[in-house]
Amino acid sequence: MPDATIALSCDAVRKTFPGGVEALAGLNLEVREGAFLGLLGPNGAGKTTLIRSIVGLTRPSGGTIRVFGLPAGSPGDVEGRQLIGYAPQEIALDRFVPVRDTLTLHGRYFGMTRADARARADEMLRVFDLTDKADAFSNRLSGGMRRRLLLARALLHRPRLVILDEPTAGVDVELRQDLWQYITRLHADGTTILLTTHYLEEAEALCERVAFIRDGAVVADGAPDELRQRFNADKLEDVYLRLVGR
Amino acid sequence: MTAAKTLRRGQWRGVFALSEREVLRVLRLWSQTIAPQVIAAALFIVVFGIGLGGQIRVIDGVPYDRFIVPGLVLMGVGTAAFANNATSLYQARTEGFIEDPVSSSMTASQLAIGYTIGGVVRGLAIGVATLVVARIFVDFPVEHPFYMALMLVIAAVGFAALGTIVGLYSRGWELQAFVGNLLLQPLAFLGGVFYSVDALDQPWQGITQADPIFYMVDGTRYGLLGATDVSPWLSLGIATSLAAVILVWSWSLFVRGVGLRT
Repeated sequence: MPDATIALSCDAVRKTFPGGVEALAGLNLEVREGAFLGLLGPNGAGKTTLIRSIVGLTRPSGGTIRVFGLPAGSPGDVEGRQLIGYAPQEIALDRFVPVRDTLTLHGRYFGMTRADARARADEMLRVFDLTDKADAFSNRLSGGMRRRLLLARALLHRPRLVILDEPTAGVDVELRQDLWQYITRLHADGTTILLTTHYLEEAEALCERVAFIRDGAVVADGAPDELRQRFNADKLEDVYLRLVGR
Repeated sequence: MTAAKTLRRGQWRGVFALSEREVLRVLRLWSQTIAPQVIAAALFIVVFGIGLGGQIRVIDGVPYDRFIVPGLVLMGVGTAAFANNATSLYQARTEGFIEDPVSSSMTASQLAIGYTIGGVVRGLAIGVATLVVARIFVDFPVEHPFYMALMLVIAAVGFAALGTIVGLYSRGWELQAFVGNLLLQPLAFLGGVFYSVDALDQPWQGITQADPIFYMVDGTRYGLLGATDVSPWLSLGIATSLAAVILVWSWSLFVRGVGLRT
């Protein structure tokens, strides 16, 4: 019987792309409900492939993925997907739809009524300081606004597990601080968060636990302090370099 | 209400939202998505029907300017439904925003339905607009309105599904241009839009009768004018079978995640 207090469990997840590239090599990972996990690893380690497998955008070649005990990862696993909010690494927003409609459509894709989605969209616009841009098209927004819109969209349907794939990549220091605040508040409200990042200071500042991923497998995980002790290192960066550095 | 029932109800809200998004896109871009095709149809009526129609006058007992209207309506429906899905899906894939509905709680079949409805609505909007504009220039009856509506919906479904297939397989604009310009356009022109198959000698008569679009044009002509070269039920049967095959093909691509999931 799957444990519903485990927000995310990945058991021996494999993904081999056509051409033989093995992106995930029997990866195991468990995230408890309410936890904040940072997933760290170099480019090509398998972080994005793992995330895309969880949200159903990549088909794993093997293994099982469960979200709050429900199957996820296959196109038919709609109940599991309903519980996930996903902000991708690439800013991919529908340029034919204004900001408010971007949010309301997302809510309705996830089953919200038109009225609920609209009310929640207005709430998210306020939270992310986008109310002034509600009727603007996304291609008219600055990079920082688009990043905030992506985050607002991921949270719109009140997911229990939020997956953020490098949400602060390429943003200025001020916006990074703003995003950290949003994310911290979200976690304080009880939402489980899985975050990938290249910034180790970000992982240390935000995450209760970090997992290092290399060649498609988790090589170590634990609380930052615990990992520093275990590897007798002063900084998380040293642990990173020792475990996954090239 | 059970959780499963709530989820199912929510999923259909997603389908409506997806269809609505497609329709809104068409309306917002009306100068690219609606106006050119309606103007082209009006020009065909003015140039071929009214201008050159004086040389031909009557085909199968129908004045020429009236004779060409059903074919133009069908052509408008087909090309618009095809172009909508081919373009919209390709753009959504290459720009990445298709990931939002694909990673939602809608099933693959529901995604297929949502996109198909979008193409069908645009196709039918063009069809209705073409009829309205044609009526300004030409007086015509609507002999079998239900038959005509059914034929146009079936054609719109088939062409929208074909657009879906192209939109999901495309790696550039070439495939859409190839299918639209080198396949559909010749088939539409050889499908009896501007002539009756009875007026042709072999092998052109055989070629026209092997063209599936001929049956859609002939069926639409039966619905609008009551004139027909072949049995309207044969036309309906062929159009339905063809649309069903293409629809199943497009649906299977969504289920297999072609162009959507890696």
